[in-house]
Amino acid sequence: MTADQTPVDHARFDELAVGWALRALEPEDESVFVGHLAGCARCAATVAETEEVMAVLATDLPQPEPSEGLRLRIRDAVAGTEQQPEPAPEVTAVPSPLPARVPGPRRTAEPTSGWRRLVPVGLVAAAVAAIVGLGVWNVVLSSQQEKLQATVAEQSAVMDGLLSPGRATIAPLTAPDGKPVATVVARADEVDLIMQGLAANDPRSNTYVLWSMDDGNAEALATFDVTSPRVGLKTVGSGSTGFDQHGIYGISLEPGRKAPSLPTEVVATGQVTS
Amino acid sequence: MNRGRHVLRTMRVTMGAVSTPARRPEDAERDADLLRRIRSGDQTAVDGLYERFRRPAFALARRILADDVLAEDVLQEVFLSVWRDPSAYERGRGSVASWLLAMVHHKAVDAVRREESQRRRRALAEEERVLDEPIAARDVDDDVWARVVSERVRTALGGLSAPQREALTLAYYGGYTQREVAALTGTPLGTVKTRMLSGMRRLKQELGGAVAEVAGGALGPSVAPEAGR
Repeated sequence: MTADQTPVDHARFDELAVGWALRALEPEDESVFVGHLAGCARCAATVAETEEVMAVLATDLPQPEPSEGLRLRIRDAVAGTEQQPEPAPEVTAVPSPLPARVPGPRRTAEPTSGWRRLVPVGLVAAAVAAIVGLGVWNVVLSSQQEKLQATVAEQSAVMDGLLSPGRATIAPLTAPDGKPVATVVARADEVDLIMQGLAANDPRSNTYVLWSMDDGNAEALATFDVTSPRVGLKTVGSGSTGFDQHGIYGISLEPGRKAPSLPTEVVATGQVTS
Repeated sequence: MNRGRHVLRTMRVTMGAVSTPARRPEDAERDADLLRRIRSGDQTAVDGLYERFRRPAFALARRILADDVLAEDVLQEVFLSVWRDPSAYERGRGSVASWLLAMVHHKAVDAVRREESQRRRRALAEEERVLDEPIAARDVDDDVWARVVSERVRTALGGLSAPQREALTLAYYGGYTQREVAALTGTPLGTVKTRMLSGMRRLKQELGGAVAEVAGGALGPSVAPEAGR
């Protein structure tokens, strides 16, 4: 809890701390909480308390034996895996056009699934940077994670989601004239959009819609607004799954505030490249 | 994969002894020593950690995933992750046991979310809720339930209000997000958040000495427990 927060003010974060430990937060709450957790000893203790309760729940389940083969597989995997070097005592964030972000241990790497080629988090950053031309990224693994996060948390709420460990598909979208205007970064349960030239829309009268356009079939994934033509990052879809299961994405500008059944004015399309 | 039915089916044929290990200081010290050895590059210490936690870790992953193969994949991922980066554990933030089992929980939840479409998960919700009902309201599956959760946890869960129990068990054993729990139970999201906090406070109280103490958190004794909502 920070010095300027009373216990009453902090009640919301107490709730988020329990949800975080249970891995039950929605992406928007998670972004808020990650930024807060870095500087809050009370929340760190609440997370630890919750995990202790969870551990008792786990150890009181009936406990069958895993197969003997698992022990051998783990042994083999360990023998073939190098350890990460111990973190340096201090970490300095290297200035870059976008904030450095350290992936926390709680967001976990996910195995590659199916035919789609997916890229791990570090490569997501690199691929996005390469596509968007935003410069060099620095993703540092360090025990100083929280300190570093604290310095960039406010700016990096969206980046937290974008760079959380795991797999993502990346699809650069171009306007009909070939001009790149956006990049889709899709995970199983979240889709982020890097806007790099989409015109601002009028939220009172129209909305942008992100579509999957596989095999000629359009399916609306999310609606979103663009408030500035400048480069920006936005989480446009969450709370569902399967966002990363598409090969072609498109963006349309639609009258009204809801997605129609089919796009009327497609302003950008692109396919997964990674 | 029908998770609810699969859970029941699997448990009927593989039921083992229910363990209720007491928290002992020497366990915590031994765990910390194993982690120190891993940090120093001792591969055999991973074997030691696996030996100590394989069963609760497998039980938890299996409970969430209802699939032995996926559960073993989660365990492999967790123990390899501990080997690769043992410094991810921060002493003072809880025990090695809770850290490792939380990692198992999180990876199992991630896996179950990958495996199931939203539509299917909603269809399964009713069966999850059946598993979460209080013992008094159950009949046919009483025998299964009695073997699923030990007396201690059952008693503790029984001390929660029904809405608290429902929210926590859907999140912990089912891997549902707060918004999903809200949708499944027809409850406002804010109420679900409050129930999870108040339920966790109550659960910690009910479990008593079985839970390692961590000072300064919102579940601690200095915080007045909320009435069940």
